[in-house]
Parts: sequence; C-alpha cells; structure tokens
Amino acid sequence: MIAGTTVDAVSVLTGWGAGVRALPASAATAAAGRTVIALGRPELEGERFRRATRECLLGVAAVDALLRDNGISREVIKGSETALIYVTGGAYGASNRAWVAADTVRPAMAGTLHFPYTAPSVMSGEVAIEFGLTGPYGILIGGAAATIDGLWQATRLLESGRCERALVLAVETFEDCAELFARGRWLVGRPLVEAAVCALLVPGALRTRYDAPRVPSALETLARTRAGETLACGPLIALALGREDGAVGSIGVTGEWRGRRAGLYWH
Amino acid sequence: MSHTVEPVSLVAAGVVTPFGADLDAFWSGLITGSDGISMIERFPVDDLRVGRGGEIKKLRALPAARRVGCRASQLLLAAAEDLLARSPISAEPARVAVVLGTALGGVGELERAMAPGGRARHAAGALYDSPAHALAHRLDARGPVLTVGAACAAGATALGHGADLLRADVVDVVVAGGYDALCRFVMRGFDALRSLTRERVRPFDRRRSGLLLGEAAALVIMTREGATRGPRLGRLLGHASASDGSHIAAPDANGRGLELAARQALEEAGLTAADVDFVSAHGTGTPLNDRIEADVLKRVLGRRASDIPVNSIKAAVGHTMGAAAALEAVMCLLAGREGVVPYTLGLEEPDPACELDLVMATPRAARPRISLSTSLGFGGCNAALVLEARDS
Repeated sequence: MIAGTTVDAVSVLTGWGAGVRALPASAATAAAGRTVIALGRPELEGERFRRATRECLLGVAAVDALLRDNGISREVIKGSETALIYVTGGAYGASNRAWVAADTVRPAMAGTLHFPYTAPSVMSGEVAIEFGLTGPYGILIGGAAATIDGLWQATRLLESGRCERALVLAVETFEDCAELFARGRWLVGRPLVEAAVCALLVPGALRTRYDAPRVPSALETLARTRAGETLACGPLIALALGREDGAVGSIGVTGEWRGRRAGLYWH
Repeated sequence: MSHTVEPVSLVAAGVVTPFGADLDAFWSGLITGSDGISMIERFPVDDLRVGRGGEIKKLRALPAARRVGCRASQLLLAAAEDLLARSPISAEPARVAVVLGTALGGVGELERAMAPGGRARHAAGALYDSPAHALAHRLDARGPVLTVGAACAAGATALGHGADLLRADVVDVVVAGGYDALCRFVMRGFDALRSLTRERVRPFDRRRSGLLLGEAAALVIMTREGATRGPRLGRLLGHASASDGSHIAAPDANGRGLELAARQALEEAGLTAADVDFVSAHGTGTPLNDRIEADVLKRVLGRRASDIPVNSIKAAVGHTMGAAAALEAVMCLLAGREGVVPYTLGLEEPDPACELDLVMATPRAARPRISLSTSLGFGGCNAALVLEARDS
C-alpha cells in the first residue's frame, strides 16, 4: 500500500481553446448569447481514426496533450500499470442520436461501423487502443459528481497498488444534440462548453477525503464561471485552475449533478 | 504484493427476468431448463434478420406514484420491489448509495425524444444515468448515485465500485447491480453486426452461431461484513477490471484483459485457482468469445480447469447486457445456497476448443462455495468477480 496520491498533471481542451489560459474571465459574457461553444474534430493521423467519432478523437487528443505538455512519452503510460477512468455526462449523445436517425430515416446507413460507437465504453476503448492501456478501467456516466467519484476511484486503485498511475479522462460534446440538451431546463441559461480534459494521478504523499458537501468549492464556482457548463469536465478543469494558481499540494474539488454534490480533497 | 481486501456482505437480491418478476421465478427457470427466448412484441422487428430475444412479457403493476415512463427504470423498480420484499434497507438515506451497471441506460427514451412531439422528459430520460436516479428516488437513497457504463461488463464493475464505497466507509448500504431493457436501438445494432443467431444460442457448443439479447434487472443489497444482521446470500470477496486496448467491439484475441481481471480478482480475494468451485462464464455463444474465454479459463485455472464446473445462462434469458454480470453473480450465490448448478441451455455438442467441465443437459448437484464470474463488453472491457456463497 502506498501513502497517498497526487495530481501530477492536467490537460484542458475546451471550446475556448487549449489550456486554462484560454478560458475567458466569464463564460457567460464571452458566449455572447451562444448556447453551445463547440470544440472541433481533432485532426489526428491514422487510418483507424477515420471512422472514429469526434468524441473518441477528443479523448485521444486530451491524453495526447497531457503527454506532450508534460514531456511524458507514450511508453511510460503503455501497459497494465496505467488505469484509465473515463467519465461523461452525455458525450455518447451524438453517436446515439446519429444511430437512431440512421435507423429511422436511412436504415441502410445504420451499419456495423456505426453501432459500436454508440457505447460510452468505446470512447475509452479507443483511447486504450491508441495508447496501449491494458490496466484497470472505470467508466462512469454522469455529470461533475461522477467525475469526483472517478477521481476517488483512481486514488483507490493507486493506493491499493493496482496501478502505478491513473488517467482520469472526461469528455463532453453538445453540438450534435444541442436541441435535446436545450430541453433540459436545468441547463438553460449557461453556455454549454464542449471539453476534453485529462488528469494524471500518481503515488504521492497526500491522503484523500471523499464527502458530500452542501455547497460548491471555490474552485467549482471558478471553473463554472470561467469555462461555462462542462458537465463531467468541470472538476478536472477546477483542478487545472487550482494548479495554475499554485495549488500543487493540498487541493479540493467538488462537483454537482442532479442535485447531488460530491467532493474530494487531497491534504 | 498482496492486494487482499475486506469482503463485503451480499445480503439479499431482487431480479426481474424473462422468466418472471422475482428471484424465485429466475431460479426455477434456470433449474428447470426453461427457455426465456421469444419473439419480441414490444417494438417492430419485422425488418431485422433476427427478431427474437429474452423479452419480459409482463411487468408487475406498480403503484401509480412509482410509475415511470422509461422501460429501463420500470425494470429497475420491479427488481427493487422484489429486493425490498426480501430485505429492508436499514440505514440513513444519506448513507445509502446506488451503483448500477448498464450498456444502454435510458436510450429507449431517445427514440421517443427524437420522434415528432418528443418531450423534454424523454430527452432527459435518454441520459444513461437517468434510470439509476429513478431507482435512488424510489429507495430514498441520498448517497452517491453512480452509473457504470462498462457495456456488458458493467454489472460486475458496479458491484466492485459498490464494495469500494463500503470499504471506505462512504456509505453503510449499497444497492448495486445492473439492468438493460430491450429496445429497437440495440436490436438493430446487434442485427447490423450479424451477432444475433437465427437458431438457438449454444454457448461453448461446436455449432454455436451467435447470441440473442435479453432484458433484465438484478439488484443486491451490500453492506460491510460487520454490519450484517441476520441471513445473507453471500459475500463479494474480490473484483477486478482490465482493458484490452485492442479492439472496440471484439475481445482481445488472446484474452489478455480477461485473464488479468480474473487473476487480480482472485488475488484481491486472497484466493487461488485451487479454491474455485464454480465458474459462471460470460459465454455469449459467439464463436470468438467462447473460444477466447475458454482459453483464458484454462490458463487461469491451470490443472484444475477440467475439474471445475462452468456454465453460461445466456441461452436461457438472453444476453441481458448491463444486467448480465449482476444476474450471474446472483446465480452463483443461489447455486451455493441451493446445492445445484444450473446447466447451460443449448449446449449439446461441446466444442473441443472449449474443453472445460461444462455443465450441460441437466443441473449438477454441487454446492459451490467460491465462484468466479467473468464478463466482457464493448470497448475492450473485462471484469471478474469472486463470490462466496452463504455458509450452508
């Protein structure tokens, strides 16, 4: 058993650009009335990516950015000693919607290549294939509270010695299902900002505490103010903002979804 | 390094399956060799190559206040009725978590949301975590509500996550399990993949030609070992997951992820192959899955591979996707309690490439104490559970 964990690096891609420095001071103001701030399809090389969905590619791009920005080689994370925890509130929506539409309107277009991509697990599967990740995995569906659980799972896996490092990856896309998301009253009024964010957790000296706070942490509020509504990506953006502000040691993040808030604190 | 963890009690179970609305119907269906497969009637399948599956024809009517529109939520609430009839949930609401595995969530609602006149509630219901929140509402569970989206391995991973929440003292009770409802969305998908068989499902049989889908929900009440009062079904001793990292829709050719998951689950349980009395295989009946899984079991179980009974229940109820692993975990515990192992429906001519002690033709008199249950899913998901049946 190891003593604890630490957040070693966080990569952030959002509809505002790459990195937390691309985030505006106020997402609501910067959105200027736009309801969705989209993130384009990453241009990745490789025949395999030709058929992959945008959300899959965003996941790959987020991990790629994490490695590139922190000088980590692919060989380091390859293999069974890296855990992958993937979280999303609704990034599967685009492929699901496309599948239903194809079956309804043009059944001939609903082919074998399309259906597997409707599964949320295929998004993390593509990331696992690209980087050769064969260790423990977790796939959680939900908003920001689920990401807190994902981070907590990563710390559990590290602390139990099941892996040497853990990637916690969150991806959210909204553009393809904008009219469906617009029906969700609890999301109205915030710009929905597409994002792909990845955090690298490694063994460290900090213990973690998981709880269910009633109020958002300062970082949760800051992340929502600056990035907008990014659902599952919110807590990871909060971590990145906290680190940007110099909080590389003790740090706490919270996240809320469907009236439930969870928090995780490194101390 | 030893990763042995504290066992977690599995107090009670509740299910709804193509065999009927409760655990008794499920068990008697398995033991009597009933066939839960039928023509699907709830949505159009005329244009599909295969229109059969493990459809639940009749759900117990729920009180009006508990009615929900989504079929997946209805299955969960029906399983919860069965569960609560067997054991109350004795904990403060804030100390009760819900952790569910699913391959499809509420996606059936997406079809309704996109139809002319689709409503906001259909769009919200189409989110994969909506049914878990509907169940939490029914149970007044105010702790964490988690949805595990690990496709057809999700039910196993949900039990593992639930156990972690208990071990870390985040909650006192976890209602964990899995579910999935049949809908046009998934039938059309597997039909397009040519994964569905036009004849019967035959796990590990030389003539196997594919799977059939089914729908079900399976729930268990989990508590910490020391907090368990009264009888229990058994214990979860170990769980592990591992990614293949090789293909989005097919298992790794060498079953590396499944092997790692099985070995680590045994390690977490503090056991070895020598301790395993029974294996509940994923056993979909597809040519590739069964051969790869048999190879993995031979490697993991070693010299005992030919001595340990192995079954698959997917020919009986269909591949119930997110519910499958939870349903199979319950089956393992019932086998230990009842002293009989259900047989593998459809298996008549074992494939020499799948040479294992396959339970076929009739139920086997045996009282497995330690069971290993294996699961695979889209995206290269693999999971394994090690379970211990209640002391007889």
